Amino acid sequence: MKETLTTLIESAKRFRKPLIALAVVLALVIPLLPRNPFYQDLIIMIFFWATLATAWNLLGGFAGQISLGHAGFFGIGAYTSTILYLTFGLSPWIGMFAGAGLSMIVALLVGFPTFRLTSHFFALATLAFGEVLRLLASYWRELTNGGVGLLLPHTPGFRNFIFDNKAVYAYIILVMLLAVLCVTYIFKKSRFGYSLFALREDPGAAESLGVNTHRAKMYALLISVFFTSIAGTFYAQYVAFIEPDIVFTSHVSIQLALLSIIGGIGTVFGPLVGSLFLTPLDIFLRGWLGGVFSGLNFIVYGVILILAVMFFPLGIAGWIRKKIAGFEKAPELPEKTSAEPVGCPEARAEHRAEAGAPLMTVDAISKRFGGLEAVKDLSFMVREGEILGLIGPNGAGKTTVFNLISGFIVPDRGTIVFNGKDISSLKAPHCFCRECIGRTFQLVKPFQHMTVLENVMVGAFACTRHTEEAEKAASAILQRIHLSHHAYTMASNLTIADRKRLELGRALATQPKLLLLDEVMAGLNPKETEDIIGIIRSISRDGITIIMIEHVMKAVMSLSDRIVVINNGIKLVEGLPNEVVKDQRVVDAYLGGAYHATAGLK
Amino acid sequence: MVEVIIQLVINGLLLGGLYALLSIGLTLIFGVLEIVNFAHGEFLMVSMYLTFLLFSFFGMDPYLSLIVILPVFFLFGYAIEKIIIKPLLNDPPLNQIFATIGLGLIFSNVALLLFKADFRTVKTSYSDANLIFGNFFVSVPRLIAFAIAIALIAALLLYLKKTFTGKAIRALAQQRKAAMLMGIDVHRTYAIAFGIGIACVGAAGAVLLPLFFVFPTVGSLFSLIAFVIVILGGYNSLAGSLVAGLIIGLIEGFSGFFISPHLKEVVYFVLFIFILIFRPTGLFGKR
Repeated sequence: MKETLTTLIESAKRFRKPLIALAVVLALVIPLLPRNPFYQDLIIMIFFWATLATAWNLLGGFAGQISLGHAGFFGIGAYTSTILYLTFGLSPWIGMFAGAGLSMIVALLVGFPTFRLTSHFFALATLAFGEVLRLLASYWRELTNGGVGLLLPHTPGFRNFIFDNKAVYAYIILVMLLAVLCVTYIFKKSRFGYSLFALREDPGAAESLGVNTHRAKMYALLISVFFTSIAGTFYAQYVAFIEPDIVFTSHVSIQLALLSIIGGIGTVFGPLVGSLFLTPLDIFLRGWLGGVFSGLNFIVYGVILILAVMFFPLGIAGWIRKKIAGFEKAPELPEKTSAEPVGCPEARAEHRAEAGAPLMTVDAISKRFGGLEAVKDLSFMVREGEILGLIGPNGAGKTTVFNLISGFIVPDRGTIVFNGKDISSLKAPHCFCRECIGRTFQLVKPFQHMTVLENVMVGAFACTRHTEEAEKAASAILQRIHLSHHAYTMASNLTIADRKRLELGRALATQPKLLLLDEVMAGLNPKETEDIIGIIRSISRDGITIIMIEHVMKAVMSLSDRIVVINNGIKLVEGLPNEVVKDQRVVDAYLGGAYHATAGLK
Repeated sequence: MVEVIIQLVINGLLLGGLYALLSIGLTLIFGVLEIVNFAHGEFLMVSMYLTFLLFSFFGMDPYLSLIVILPVFFLFGYAIEKIIIKPLLNDPPLNQIFATIGLGLIFSNVALLLFKADFRTVKTSYSDANLIFGNFFVSVPRLIAFAIAIALIAALLLYLKKTFTGKAIRALAQQRKAAMLMGIDVHRTYAIAFGIGIACVGAAGAVLLPLFFVFPTVGSLFSLIAFVIVILGGYNSLAGSLVAGLIIGLIEGFSGFFISPHLKEVVYFVLFIFILIFRPTGLFGKR
C-alpha cells in the first residue's frame, strides 16, 4: 500500500507540468467570463459533465467495461448528501463523502457478480441496476419524497454548500474536474493503467501476464463511482432540486458515454473535449428547442451516437492523437543495454544445473469437457533448466495440458506441484504467473491497440511497479526477440511472425521460471523458424525451464532435452528425443511412417 | 388461499407466454449476431403505437393488425440490420451497444414528439371479457394473446427446423466460419434473422396493446423483462426463452400479489443478480 502511494506520488511529480498548465488555463476562464448567469452556468455545466464523463471513461474507456448504470451512483451521491442535510443538518461537504462511500459499497456488491459478464451483458446488468434504483427512489417515499423530489432551501453559506455567487460553484467543480483528470492521467502512465488497457484488449492474455483482472476492474469501478457520486452531490447543491427521474435516469449514463465517445474514448482528455463540444449544444437544444419540441435533444443525441460509432469511433482526441502520431518521429528507445539475462534471479544463478531437480511435477491430472475426456490421468515432470517437448496429434490434449498448468482450466482430479508448492488449487491464471509460470497462446493474443513496447511492458509490470523500470526491462526484451525496430508499432499491424515473437517476449518479461510455449513456430517460414529457435536457445541458456508444444519436428528434435508424447489425452511415451521418434507407437499415432524417410533422422 | 394461488398461476402463465414472444426475438438476434439489441423495448413501443394507429384510423382489430405488423417489422428489422448493424459486426462491443442505444433514443423521443407523454390503449368489445370456470377467471384478451404468442413461437421454431434459411440461421449461430464455408450467404442470413427477431417483438407489441398502455418510454419497462428472460433462458436457447418467459410471468404474478406490483422491476433485478451469481449460464445454457 505504502509502495503504491509512493509510486503514485512519483508519477504525479513526473506529469506535474501539463496538469498545472491545464489547471491554470481552466481556472482563468472562470473570472474572465462575463458576469452573466448564462455563461457562468454554461462553464459550470461543461466542467460538471466533463467530470462525470472522465470518471465514466476510466471504467468504460480504459477498462472497456461499459456501464449504463452510472446514473445510479450519481443519484446515490445526490440523494445521500441531500437527505443527510435535510434530516440531520449534516453539512453536504461531509454528506458528499458519505454518499461516495455508500456508492462504493453498492458498487462492490453490484460489481462482484456482474464483472463475470461479457461486455454486452455487463452493460445490460448495469442498465437494469440504474433503472431499479430509479424505481426504488420513486417508491420509497418516506426516504426520498418519491416523485415529488427534494428541494434544498436557499440558505447560503459555506457549511451548507450553497452560494449566491455562481463563480464559487465554478471553482468547486473545477477542482473536482482537475482531481479526476489528475487521477486518470497518472493511471494512464502507471502499472494500473496498463493492466486496465490489457484486460480491455484481451482478459485472458492479461491474466497470463499476472494481471488480476477482476481486482483491476473493481478498482477502476470504485474510483469511477467515487467521482460520479461526489459530482452527484455537487449537482444537488447547485441545482437545489433533485427527483428520481432527473438524477437516476439512464439518460445521464448514456450522456456520459456519448461525451466520452465524441471526445475520444480511452483517452485522458477526450471526455473534457467531448463536453466542450456537446454541453453547449445540449444547453442550446434544451433551452430553445426542448421547450417547443420536448425530446428533440435526445433525437439529436441518438443520431450523433449512431453516426459517431459508425464513422468516427476514435473521437476528437483519438483522431488528433492519430494525426500527431503520423507526423511525430517515434521516440528513441533507451540506450542499448547489455543483453542482460532475464528470468527469476535464483533460476539464473543455477544456470542450467545438470539434470536439475524436478521443477514441476504433474500427477494424474484429468479434465473432462462434457462427454470428452480431454486429459486422462496424465503425469509428467519437468526438471529445472531443461527443455521438454510436448508433441502429439492435433486434438491430443496438448493445449488443454497447458491450460491446466497455467491456471486457465481447473483440473477435475490430480495435482500440480511447482517449485515444491501445490498449485493445483490456485484460483486464477494470474496466480500462476506470480508463481513464475509464463505462457504463450497458440492463437496469438496481442493487445491490438497497444504498441509492441507497451505489450511487453504489461508483462514487465509483473515484476515491478515502476513505469521506467518496466519500460527498460521491456526494451531489453525487445532486443532479445529482435523486435526493437517495431517498438512503437501498434500490435495490430504486426505480421504473424512478429506476433509470435511478441507473444514470446511478453511472457518472457514476466521473468518466469517455467515458460510454456504453445506452437510459437506454427505458420513461420524457415528463416523465421531459425530465428525463433535461436531465441529459445538463449532463453534456455539463462536457466529458464521450457515446455514447448510444437509440430515442427526439426525444432523439437534439436531443442528438446526430453519429449513427452500424448495421444487422446493420455501419455503415450516419454523419453529422449532419439528414442521417442523411433518408438513404433509414436510413429503410428503421430509421426507417420514417412517421417524417418523424409525428415532424415540422423 | 389455494384458489388465489391457482388464479395467480393462470394469470402468470398467460402473461408468461406473451413475455416469451417478447423476448424470443432478442434471444434469436443475440444467438445469431452476438449482439444485444438495446433498442428491443423501443421496437416494441413502435409496434404498439402502430397498432394503436391502425386501430384508431382504420378500426383494425389489434390481433388482425398482425398481418400488417409482421411483414412491416420484418422489413424494418431487415433494413436496420443492413444499414446500421452490418457495418458494426466486427467492431468492439462498445460500438454495437451504443448504435442500438442511439436507435432506442431516437425511437422513444420521436414517439414523444408525435404522441406526447400520454398513456394510450385500445378498447375492444372483448377488452374486459372473462371466461369463468367455477371460481376462476380467464381474461379473454390475455388468453388470445397467449394463444397467438405460443402459435408464433411454434411457427418460428418449426421454421428454423425445417426450412433452408432456418437451418442456415441455426448454422450461423453455431459456427460463423463453417457456415460461410458451406456456402451460406452470411449477410443475407443475418439480416433475415434480425428481421425475424424484430417481427417477433413487433407481434408482441400488437398483442400486448389491448392489455396495457403505450407511452414513449414503455420500452424500457419491457426491455428489462426481456433481458432477464434471455439470461434466465440461457442467452441463446429459444426453447429456454419460452420456459423462462413462463417462469417470469409466474414470478410477476406472485410478486405483484405478495410484494407490490410497483416493485416488480426490483424483483426482476434481484432475480437477475441471483442468476448471475448462482447460474451464470442460465437455466438452459451450456457450461
